[in-house]
Amino acid sequence: MTGPADTPAPDEAESPHPVTGLDDVVHQRVRLGILTIAHEARRVEFGYLRTQLELTAGNLSQHLGVLETAGLVEVEKGYAGRRGRTWITLTAAGSAALAEEIGRLKLLIARVETTDTPQDR
Amino acid sequence: MTSESIPAGGDPRRLLADARNLARRVRLAQRVTWLPLLVLALVTFGAILVYRFSQPVLSDCQPIADGQVCKAWYRAAQFYWWAALVLAYVVIAGGYLRVARARGLGTRVLPYVLTGVALVVLSAAVSGVWSILDHPYYPDEPPAFVQFLFRLLDPTGAIGLALLVLAWLERRVALLLFALGYLAVVLVPINFGWGVGWGPQWAFAPQLVINGGLLLLGSAGFALAQRLRRPR
Repeated sequence: MTGPADTPAPDEAESPHPVTGLDDVVHQRVRLGILTIAHEARRVEFGYLRTQLELTAGNLSQHLGVLETAGLVEVEKGYAGRRGRTWITLTAAGSAALAEEIGRLKLLIARVETTDTPQDR
Repeated sequence: MTSESIPAGGDPRRLLADARNLARRVRLAQRVTWLPLLVLALVTFGAILVYRFSQPVLSDCQPIADGQVCKAWYRAAQFYWWAALVLAYVVIAGGYLRVARARGLGTRVLPYVLTGVALVVLSAAVSGVWSILDHPYYPDEPPAFVQFLFRLLDPTGAIGLALLVLAWLERRVALLLFALGYLAVVLVPINFGWGVGWGPQWAFAPQLVINGGLLLLGSAGFALAQRLRRPR
C-alpha cells in the first residue's frame, strides 16, 4: 500500500524519465569526451584525444569507429610534412546529439536532486 | 561490506563534470591572448611615427579668439590605420591557427578576426561619410555624443570592441575586464595637458602611448598568466 508521499506528481508521471531518452552511442564516458572536445575545438587531432582521454590508439579508434558509423563525427586523414595526421570533426548530427545528451544529463541530475530525501543522503 | 567505487560512466554528475573539464582544457590550450594584444600594441606605437613623419592636409582655416582653427585630414595616418589593422588581424589569425594546429586543435578565432576587419571597414565608412558631409558643426566642436561615437568607431576604439568578441569566444573574464578597461581609457581620454602646443604631428602621441602601453602591459600579463598555468 502506498501513501500520498509515494504518489508521483502528475507532470512527473506523464513525462518519461530522462533515462529513457539517453542515446547509448553518446551516453558513454569516452565517446561523450570525444564529442565534447571536438565541439569545443572545432577540429581535433587523434593524438590530442588520445592524451586527454588517456586511451590506447586501438581503444580510441574503436570509439571513433562507433561515432563515425553513427554519423556523429567525420574522420579525415592527412599529412603534416611527412607525419601522418588524423583529424576529427563533429558533424551537425554530432553537435545535436551532444546538446541532447548534455540536456538529458542536466535533467537527470535535477530529477535526482528533487527526489533526493534527507534519508537518502 | 566493501566500499567499491561506482564506475564513472553511469554517474550523470561525474559525466557532466568530466565534459566541462575537457571543454575547459581545450579552451586553455587554444588561448594565445598575448598575441593579439602584442600585435595591436605595435600597430598603435607605429601610428605615432606615422603622425610624426606625415603632414596633415589643412583647409578652410578660420581665425578664432586665440589663434586659428582648420579642418585637418591626417591622410597618411588614416590609410596606415586601415592597412595596419587589417594586416594585424591576418597575422593574429595566422598565429592562432599555427598554435592550435601544433597543439592538435582547431581554433575559434575567425569570428574575432572578421569582427575586427568589419569594424575597420565601418570606421573607414564613417570617416568617408564625415568627409562627404564636409565636417558638420565646423568650426564648432561636435556634440558630446557624436564625439563619443567617433571615439568608439575610431581605429583605437574598434580595437577594444573587437577584443570584447575575443573575450566572449575565449570565455575569459580577465580579457573581458581588460577590454572594458581599455575601452574606458579610449572613450574617456586621459588629459594631463600633454601634447598641447606640441603641434599637429605630436598631438596624438600621449594618448597613443597610453593606449599602446596598456595593450603591451596586457600582453605581458596574459603571457605570464599562460606560462604559470601551463601544466608542467
